[in-house]
Amino acid sequence: MIKSYKLRRHLSNALIYIILGVMCIIWVMPFVYLVLHSLRLDGGVIDNGALLPKQFTFKHYIDLFAGNAPSGSGAATLYFPQWFLNTFVVACFSCVISTLSVLMVSYAFSRLRFGARKKLMNIAMILGMFPGFMTMIAMYYLLKIMHLDGTLVALVLCYSCGAGLGFQISKGFFDTIPRALDEAATIDGATKNQIFWKIILPMSKPIVVYTVLTSFIGPWTDFILAKIIMGDDTSKYTVAIGLQKMISAEFRSSYFQQFMAGSVVVAVPITLLFLKMQKYYVEGVTAGGVKG
Amino acid sequence: MKKVLAILLAGMLTATAFAGCGGGGNNNSGSKAADGSQTESKGDASAAAAVDPSWPDASLFGDEDNITLKVWAPDKAVDLVKTQVEAFKSHYSDKKFASIEVVAQGENDAATLIVNDPEKAADVFGFPSDQLNKLKDAQVLTQVAPALAAQVQAMNAEKTVTAATFDGQLLAFPETNDNGYYLVFDNSVVTADDAKTLEGVLAACKKAGKSFIMDAGNGYYSCIFAFTGGAEIDGFEADGTTQKFKEYDEATVVKTLMAFAQLMKDYKGTFVSQDPANISTGFKNGKVGAGIDGTWNSQPDKEALGDKFGAAKLPTIKVGSEDKQIISLFGYKYIGVNSHTKFPRSAQILGYYLAGQECQEQRAKQIGWGPSNQEALKAVADDAILQAVAAQAENAVPQVNVAGTFWTSMGTLGSEMYKDGWNPADEAATKKLFEKTIANVRDE
Repeated sequence: MIKSYKLRRHLSNALIYIILGVMCIIWVMPFVYLVLHSLRLDGGVIDNGALLPKQFTFKHYIDLFAGNAPSGSGAATLYFPQWFLNTFVVACFSCVISTLSVLMVSYAFSRLRFGARKKLMNIAMILGMFPGFMTMIAMYYLLKIMHLDGTLVALVLCYSCGAGLGFQISKGFFDTIPRALDEAATIDGATKNQIFWKIILPMSKPIVVYTVLTSFIGPWTDFILAKIIMGDDTSKYTVAIGLQKMISAEFRSSYFQQFMAGSVVVAVPITLLFLKMQKYYVEGVTAGGVKG
Repeated sequence: MKKVLAILLAGMLTATAFAGCGGGGNNNSGSKAADGSQTESKGDASAAAAVDPSWPDASLFGDEDNITLKVWAPDKAVDLVKTQVEAFKSHYSDKKFASIEVVAQGENDAATLIVNDPEKAADVFGFPSDQLNKLKDAQVLTQVAPALAAQVQAMNAEKTVTAATFDGQLLAFPETNDNGYYLVFDNSVVTADDAKTLEGVLAACKKAGKSFIMDAGNGYYSCIFAFTGGAEIDGFEADGTTQKFKEYDEATVVKTLMAFAQLMKDYKGTFVSQDPANISTGFKNGKVGAGIDGTWNSQPDKEALGDKFGAAKLPTIKVGSEDKQIISLFGYKYIGVNSHTKFPRSAQILGYYLAGQECQEQRAKQIGWGPSNQEALKAVADDAILQAVAAQAENAVPQVNVAGTFWTSMGTLGSEMYKDGWNPADEAATKKLFEKTIANVRDE
């Protein structure tokens, strides 16, 4: 038994740090590997088992953005800059639309009292429980009827139109804002609309940020829906489908490193947005959770 | 009461969502049936017309005019197919072609995309043989018109035709006979003589201090262990899902597996199980002497080695006193005609032309696709890769009707044998492993 309190504390701290350190290394490893090997000079899938590349180069990033096809690949339709732009545009639009719709729905459910309020909330809950991919084929045929299949507009529609169903967290946040503020504003002559824009929104920065982040990330990671909607039209692909194409059997041996570079690049806009909004984010998640 | 209402409402909402889905499906099958009957009657009508080997008679177009078609070809072939389509248009210059669009679409995705929405998919498309069943079940393939079928059967390698024939109906035009793997080697390390036996290849690589790459943990490659021993797959049982095997002698299979495992052990460090995509890199940096690689990597492999590039059919392996030829899995590529096409006759003729001798020869020479057409194959007699591939095709099991359970089970067989702790001399353990593999493949 160790008598000294100090020693005991140091020991237990050391043990905790070791465990955390090991977990951290395991967790960070894939990212480090991805970044290092996207910079590796010699091509191919793996450097015959080597963990650390011997020589570094930015060539793959340059090729990726210049759309240079590696020799012998015969690729004619792999154009990453276009995919990146597509995804960025879709992400921006669906981010704006879904953020607005989520916040407005939440506001309505939190502040307004109307007949079907409870029922609508229940229906939203139930609908939210169905896995999204069940309706994908139906969505595709609906879009086809509207002649929207194979367009970026269709993607924006799909990503943002159902967003209002995910109102729970932000409604929880709005519920924590005292109603007295609304009443005071009403006495001063503000309409419900003005209360939303001028009172509630400025006080809800954390949850706005949270909503913006989640809805911006969606289009970057979605694969199945985008694939169904875009079909064979490579010029409309998003990064997720495009990168998958790079490691399909057809292109794997020649495009592997560009794929690695592409995976790193995809993380950039998300990371930038995250860093910019990070300080509100943590606040947002916990604050909404109190009552949500 | 309120609760009941809420549930009812929710139910209605979901019901509408599903109705859309069901509606789409119904429409599809309706139009499918209509198209099917249309193409059948067309076949009968044109059966009498004579066929020129490369250019079908223009009368086969029937009354179709102002033709709009979409063709899918993989990236590598797009430019070539475009020129072939131009040649096609100018040959039938008295027909009016509104547009024949060639879209780049990898073959590995073809079936998925067509089944998702056959109406938007290409009218004429390339696909590998393992998608034949899926396409057939979804009824998106048009039967090759009898007028053209006889010619197709006569000109193409027999295995490629048989694989695409169901109930006496040929469902697609054979396009290549090369979807498989073969032996690639650095001929400064492995001589053509060494390349005849696996022992020779490994010994030569070991001597030069280079490795031999084969993806032993991937069922696509590792099935050669069981196939070489005689446990070849033979389509499905009557239930249509369980993998059937040809009759084999278990003792022989086990002996063969032991021979493979023994080689892996004897040449530890030389025999390396890795993704074949590493072979070309290994050739470039001089670490690899030989490997079993797919035809889709031929170009990078050849570029990496230049003059030193060597290709051969898979070698033999010594089992007991006998040199056994290694049997591989081999697929073909086909050109199919979408049954939802608005111009079924034109699509057939275009498919026939694109899969014909002239086009196969051009693809063989320009992008290295191994022809299924026997005349086209003769025209590339000096191409070492294509000849090696064609030779391997003779020693292979066709990649059609492969159960989903096949890949991982065979992969496990290979990776178990490659493992450090595996004892190649342990007959009982090998027998057990093999029996387990077969049971897993058959999902028993």
